[in-house]
Amino acid sequence: MTLSRRSVAAVVALALASLPPAASARATVALDGGTLVFFADTLGIVARDGATLRLPDGTRARADAAFVDLKSDRAVLAGHARIDHGSASASADAIALDLDADRVDLLDAASGATSTTHALRAPVAEAIDGERFAFPEVDDGNAYIRSRHAVITPHASARFVPAAFPTSVGGLPVPSYLYTYATAAGFGATSLAGAAFDQPYGLFGTQNSLTALHARWIDGLGPSVGLQQQLVNGDQSYVAASVDAPLHGSGTRGLNAYDRLGSRYTASLTANDGFGFFSSSAALTAAFGAAGGRVTFGYDTGGYTTFDASLRTPDLPLFWGATWRLQGDVGYDALRGGLLTQLPDARDYSLVWRHGIDAFVATPIVHAPLGVRIGTTFDANRTWYAFPHHNDSFTVSSTASRELSRKIALFAGYAATWYEQIYPGDQGLFFPGTSLPSIAPDGTPWPDHAAYTGATTLRDENLALQLTPDANTSVRVTMHHYDDFPQFHGYGRPQWALLGEARFRPFPNIGIDVGREYDFGWGGYTWQPRWTFAVMP
Amino acid sequence: MIHALLLAAATAAPTPAPVYRVVPLACTGDRLAIGGGSVLRLADGVRCLAIVPGRAITVALDADGRATPHPYDRTGEPPSAIPRTAFVLAPAVESDADDATMVTVTIDVTVPARTPPTDDIYVSTERSGWSPTEIRMDRVDARHYRLALRLHRDARVAFRITRGSYATIERDAARALPPAHIADGKPDSHVTVDVAAWADID
Repeated sequence: MTLSRRSVAAVVALALASLPPAASARATVALDGGTLVFFADTLGIVARDGATLRLPDGTRARADAAFVDLKSDRAVLAGHARIDHGSASASADAIALDLDADRVDLLDAASGATSTTHALRAPVAEAIDGERFAFPEVDDGNAYIRSRHAVITPHASARFVPAAFPTSVGGLPVPSYLYTYATAAGFGATSLAGAAFDQPYGLFGTQNSLTALHARWIDGLGPSVGLQQQLVNGDQSYVAASVDAPLHGSGTRGLNAYDRLGSRYTASLTANDGFGFFSSSAALTAAFGAAGGRVTFGYDTGGYTTFDASLRTPDLPLFWGATWRLQGDVGYDALRGGLLTQLPDARDYSLVWRHGIDAFVATPIVHAPLGVRIGTTFDANRTWYAFPHHNDSFTVSSTASRELSRKIALFAGYAATWYEQIYPGDQGLFFPGTSLPSIAPDGTPWPDHAAYTGATTLRDENLALQLTPDANTSVRVTMHHYDDFPQFHGYGRPQWALLGEARFRPFPNIGIDVGREYDFGWGGYTWQPRWTFAVMP
Repeated sequence: MIHALLLAAATAAPTPAPVYRVVPLACTGDRLAIGGGSVLRLADGVRCLAIVPGRAITVALDADGRATPHPYDRTGEPPSAIPRTAFVLAPAVESDADDATMVTVTIDVTVPARTPPTDDIYVSTERSGWSPTEIRMDRVDARHYRLALRLHRDARVAFRITRGSYATIERDAARALPPAHIADGKPDSHVTVDVAAWADID
């Protein structure tokens, strides 16, 4: 059974991986032509060699050629144009009509323009409107999709039957292809786990829903096929539910929902199930002017629950353009069997309340000599627990930048965090020093590990060079020096790392973003691969 | 065949200069209706046979403003450059767009001060099915990022800003999902986005 599922997943993944991206819709307007060409950035379809347009109200129009503008839901029929509605009909040299409004313009090259309705009631002479008769000058060779039949759901999507992808490298023709251009926030939502590559292929869709297959590559698991259903109510609310089936490994299921409750509140819910483990989280946010708050609750089948309620001030002016903000929170952590496992009576501490305060200060972008711009932030936090225990942290982060030219920029950054866990009277219990040397990941004895008694330091000094020779190309090289404690022979971050990243577009519809990190022999390893890959029109 | 007819027509016509790119909507008798609804008069001896509605061509105008069609030439002037006196019928509202050209649209983004300093900022658009890592932006300074997009003139691309995943998508000041931003394909246009907050950072 498992083998069968994996085999099917492998076949589907391979088939989908060879296709360009997609989207979805329900038919309301049909466009046919000897040839249809679709351009994704202008959202325009041009029909040639005889075009026929059928509207849901029974209006039917035909001409030598047609242009449908999906941005404005408008069509222009050119050459021997004729429109029929019931028993009424009209002919013109060109016809412009709205797909979702009741207006038709007829252009006669000898006498000018008249305006009427889809029902073709008595035309009225009108001045020619250049925008309504606009027909784009396009190069068919640059089309994203070539087809013969399109079914258009205004403001949502267009299904092309069949569909070929002349500018997509390796894109195979398919019998049917759905392109979604709806912009509601929920269509970007996902309940699938993160993946190094995720290419959606719309199956079915309307203005408010989309069912899509996802061809995915998950780091550590390899290829996977996901199926996701999205239900969307504009930018107001959405639900995204998914199933993900890797070729190797267990399948996972996910749910992601969001609702905007008036102008002040939002509610969200996420849930994931997989590997025999279920986790969920619910959140409610509130806004009172620029101030606000958040309540979150999390639960998993490992017995862990967490609750947090926080309030924050707005960003308030401090001096010289700097701002500050306070945030306070209260909540609890709970774990079946007890949170403080070091204690003999751990079971008495299965739920521990906490409260905390956070102060954040940000400087403005300061213009320093030599064209350097500097921005700095400071963040201090203390959290107290019901058990004698508190955590302190302080973070400072500063970035300096200098644009040498429009195409070359230099950056220098410094970020440091000091973090300490304090158990008054019990520090030795929770961080027992030892005279025995620890062993680092590469096998080196590490006697100084005994010095770690709850205080951590993270320091990152970095320099970066960014080159942007043209709009489609960007190269960035960053050198990091991490000076942390604890940090030793593969434990923690590498002391030195060199990161190279490049974004470029080798073909018109392929954007690639790759990155590699070299760690100068940290714990026996050097190269850290990192890459993303996107196919786009 | 079409080219031969066009060339034959060109040979019979007066010296063509300058030339203009147009998309024919229809050709009847001596009238040539072009994209935008304007109507030109054809030069003597020129016939409609080789003109295909919807297929871009180039036209030359003689001293009387009469048009002679030629094969499409990308270097021709846009239709908005045609002298208004050449039109037999001209629109009251004229479109000046040259939709064959590519334009650069610059997106400038300001991120909140609480943005982690080493995070990358991405533009996510409908074109990729809203991939949260579609295009990585270039950094300008600690809180500003920029991306130059090459688009067709009058293109329209809806986008949102992320830090590389849907869980890190932008939120507005009320911590709600904002409507998508729109990059219109206008020459040298700028879209400025001030990200108020992130979904994962309160």
